[in-house]
Amino acid sequence: MAWGRTMMALVTVSAIFLRWLPHHGLPILLLFAVSATAAGAIYFTQRRRYRTSTRGITQETVDADTSAVLWTAAAAVALGGLGILVVLAA
Amino acid sequence: MSTNQPSPGDPTPPQRGKIAERLLPGGTEPDPRFTLANERTFLAWIRTSLALLAGGIAIEAFTSDLFLEPVRKGLAILLLLLGMLLSAGAAVRWIRVERSMRNKTPLPLPLIVPLLAGAGALAAAVVLIFILWR
Repeated sequence: MAWGRTMMALVTVSAIFLRWLPHHGLPILLLFAVSATAAGAIYFTQRRRYRTSTRGITQETVDADTSAVLWTAAAAVALGGLGILVVLAA
Repeated sequence: MSTNQPSPGDPTPPQRGKIAERLLPGGTEPDPRFTLANERTFLAWIRTSLALLAGGIAIEAFTSDLFLEPVRKGLAILLLLLGMLLSAGAAVRWIRVERSMRNKTPLPLPLIVPLLAGAGALAAAVVLIFILWR
């Protein structure tokens, strides 16, 4: 569920970026693209993640999902960097 | 994203990915519930950073009547930087906690907690002073 909530947070943030399109102009579409892509990536990998987690709990060993963590953090950092560029350009 | 898991009853431990081998070397696999709890905590921090990012974009747009442009942009950039630091810090925290669990060492102090608390208090103080000064 935590990944689901994070996906919803990314969808909400995408909507907020679109809301401020008239003020910030087309550059904000970059932020929308990054957040929407991240939300989509979580959505399409969710089932596999749940399968891995439940199997791991049953077998009492689960490999830490390092790449998912790093990609999610990278997306958030990228959003911040792009956001700063958009604010400075406004 | 996830590595292959053995079928039920297979005693062979799962193959670890290359990134996991590099970032989380040595030690033994911790209790899977702790690994999953660590991941959930990381995601909670990410959601907090997303709120700050969204706030940074919004504050620059809708406070045009309240603040002068340099103040508005400064506040927005502060929130965005804080969001970036928080998300990077969350990833670093996740790695450090996972390593501690693998090596059965004490968990590291969560440095992003005082960072967020301090920044939040500072931002609230600045806004309060600004409101009283106006």
